[in-house]
Amino acid sequence: MSDLASRRARRTSAARRREIGIAYLLLAPTVLLMVGVLAYPVAWEVWVSLTDLSPLNDGPARFVGLENYRRLAGDPQFWRAATVTIVYAAVTSLAKLGLGMGFALLLARPFRGRAFVFLAIFLPWAYPASVSVVGWYWTLSPPIPTAYSVFMGTLKYAVDSAFGGGAWAFLSVTLFNIWRGSSFIGVFLLAGLNAVPPELFDCALLESKSAWRRFWLVTVPLLRPFLALAVFLSLTTAFSDLANVWMLMAGRIVFPVVGTHAYWLAINSGQFGPASALSLALVPFLLAVLFVLFWLFDRPETRPARGTA
Amino acid sequence: MAQVVMKALNKKYDEVHAVKDVNLHIRDKEFMVLVGPSGCGKTTTLRMVAGLEEITAGDISIGDRVVNDLPPKDRDIAMVFQNYALYPHMTVYDNMAFGLKMRKFPKAEIQKRVQDAADLLGIGELLKRKPRQLSGGQRQRVAVGRAIVRHPQVFLFDEPLSNLDAKLRVQMRVELKRLHDRLETTAIYVTHDQVEAMTLGDRVVVMKDGWIQQVGEPLELYGKPANKFVAGFIGSPAMNFADAMVVEEGSGLVVTNPGFRIPVPPARVEQLRAYKGQTLTLGIRPEDMRIGGDGVNAFEALVEVVEPLGSEILLDITVGRQAMVARVEPTVRAKIHEKVRFSVKPDQLHYFDAKTEAAI
Repeated sequence: MSDLASRRARRTSAARRREIGIAYLLLAPTVLLMVGVLAYPVAWEVWVSLTDLSPLNDGPARFVGLENYRRLAGDPQFWRAATVTIVYAAVTSLAKLGLGMGFALLLARPFRGRAFVFLAIFLPWAYPASVSVVGWYWTLSPPIPTAYSVFMGTLKYAVDSAFGGGAWAFLSVTLFNIWRGSSFIGVFLLAGLNAVPPELFDCALLESKSAWRRFWLVTVPLLRPFLALAVFLSLTTAFSDLANVWMLMAGRIVFPVVGTHAYWLAINSGQFGPASALSLALVPFLLAVLFVLFWLFDRPETRPARGTA
Repeated sequence: MAQVVMKALNKKYDEVHAVKDVNLHIRDKEFMVLVGPSGCGKTTTLRMVAGLEEITAGDISIGDRVVNDLPPKDRDIAMVFQNYALYPHMTVYDNMAFGLKMRKFPKAEIQKRVQDAADLLGIGELLKRKPRQLSGGQRQRVAVGRAIVRHPQVFLFDEPLSNLDAKLRVQMRVELKRLHDRLETTAIYVTHDQVEAMTLGDRVVVMKDGWIQQVGEPLELYGKPANKFVAGFIGSPAMNFADAMVVEEGSGLVVTNPGFRIPVPPARVEQLRAYKGQTLTLGIRPEDMRIGGDGVNAFEALVEVVEPLGSEILLDITVGRQAMVARVEPTVRAKIHEKVRFSVKPDQLHYFDAKTEAAI
């Protein structure tokens, strides 16, 4: 290498170093924010789950290793909450996906009065959760005598005696979640449908009469990235659900999910350590599910190319 | 192989009457091009043939069946879309095989047809790729291949070359023409590009505002346009128009305005006599103007812009107060702001009614 070339190379690498430095500088605000609102709280929670931190204890928190997790594993309450949570997440996600897909397909084609149908479908989501909850609660337990008050009472009794105490409560929370969430999934998938060039559907129409086959062979694969994201959102909100259950049950926890159980442990019993362990316990499971989900539905090589002609 | 017949075909949306009383007989093996500006109803017409749009009134038949109430799948047509409409989640092979699979063809037959079409189009190497990994031209070939494998009675093309760059468009145009000569399948081809229409079509349908303006062979449209719209739409650069008065002179007629005074050829005098003392629209194609000459058919013009294109020169000129374009030999040395004399052959002039715009 000549003297000149090596000098030029050195200068280039200096410029490159400066560029990298600026890149980090530009990234800094985001990194700080992520650390502040995501990494730090999560790390803190992991740490707390390994201690006996509690406002009821005197002195500093004591490191107890995996003791909190060990105790959880032996606690039938935990297993019940975990099972309920998983069933809750799975059932609501499936139902929301099905209904949401139906809504999206319904709204994708123009018809008279579409705006009103759109509004009716989206209303449960557009209102604040608390308002929707009251609406739902009154639907199931009418505040004034109505034609179906007696029927609802009978239904509740029948469900509870068939599936055990709390079954009706579980059912009503599940239905609420589906009712409210499916509208969101519907609008989300509608956006997905609208992003697909209409010719792709036209082309399928030329090849098959069966709407069912066109749906499975064309619509679903084309919506795959949107479906994955919809299931992701639905699962994570169900896994961390506290508000819906809490509000609809008015704090009387007839059946615990992980969220309510953890809240109970931490806020009402002051057991921060076990409560943290509890909230973290299902995270690995959730991550595994999400990994499989994205691997199935949104692999990079199946993603449609964008913006290339 | 089949003819396609449209009888009093109409399409109305809520507010818009998109296709008006279209009557068209597309012969077996014919390559018919529908051309017109956007919103003229050409694509809607094509989509009604495909079954993608409902027919408001009228009949469409393919072969000897009226297909109005047949679902698209049973019309035995194959369509090529402007944006290719390839499925991103399928390989090239699966895209091409899609229609046959849906129709439950045996696997070996599918394989053979896809391979044949791929060889014909020179995309045999690409069968395992995803559309995303292809160039625009390759995607277009796959889209055409997907139509070919179906061995349909009619091909429908909806602006298939519009998304390609200019060079590729010319190349694909030639290929499509060759393909049609070879497959001999009836084809309906929609485009807004008059050059595509002229080069591809056995016959061309010019549409505007939902109406058919003229149906004819390319040179017929060029030589005998039915009205001012067709005259201006077919040919590039477009035909020049100038308002002119018809005046009697001796035993003949002349058309005149402040820029020129040109005798009407004897053969046309009888037709034009009715317009004596009235204004009509005179049409002169840029390629029908010659530099020089000082006979009765000559007039003077001021050169405003010179556009040398290599094989020819376009001169933007003013004749009287009228802006026109002339297309002249590349050897012509014209300068801006120069006055130049042009002459025309009277039998190459076109006359249009000033009100109805119909050719006289």
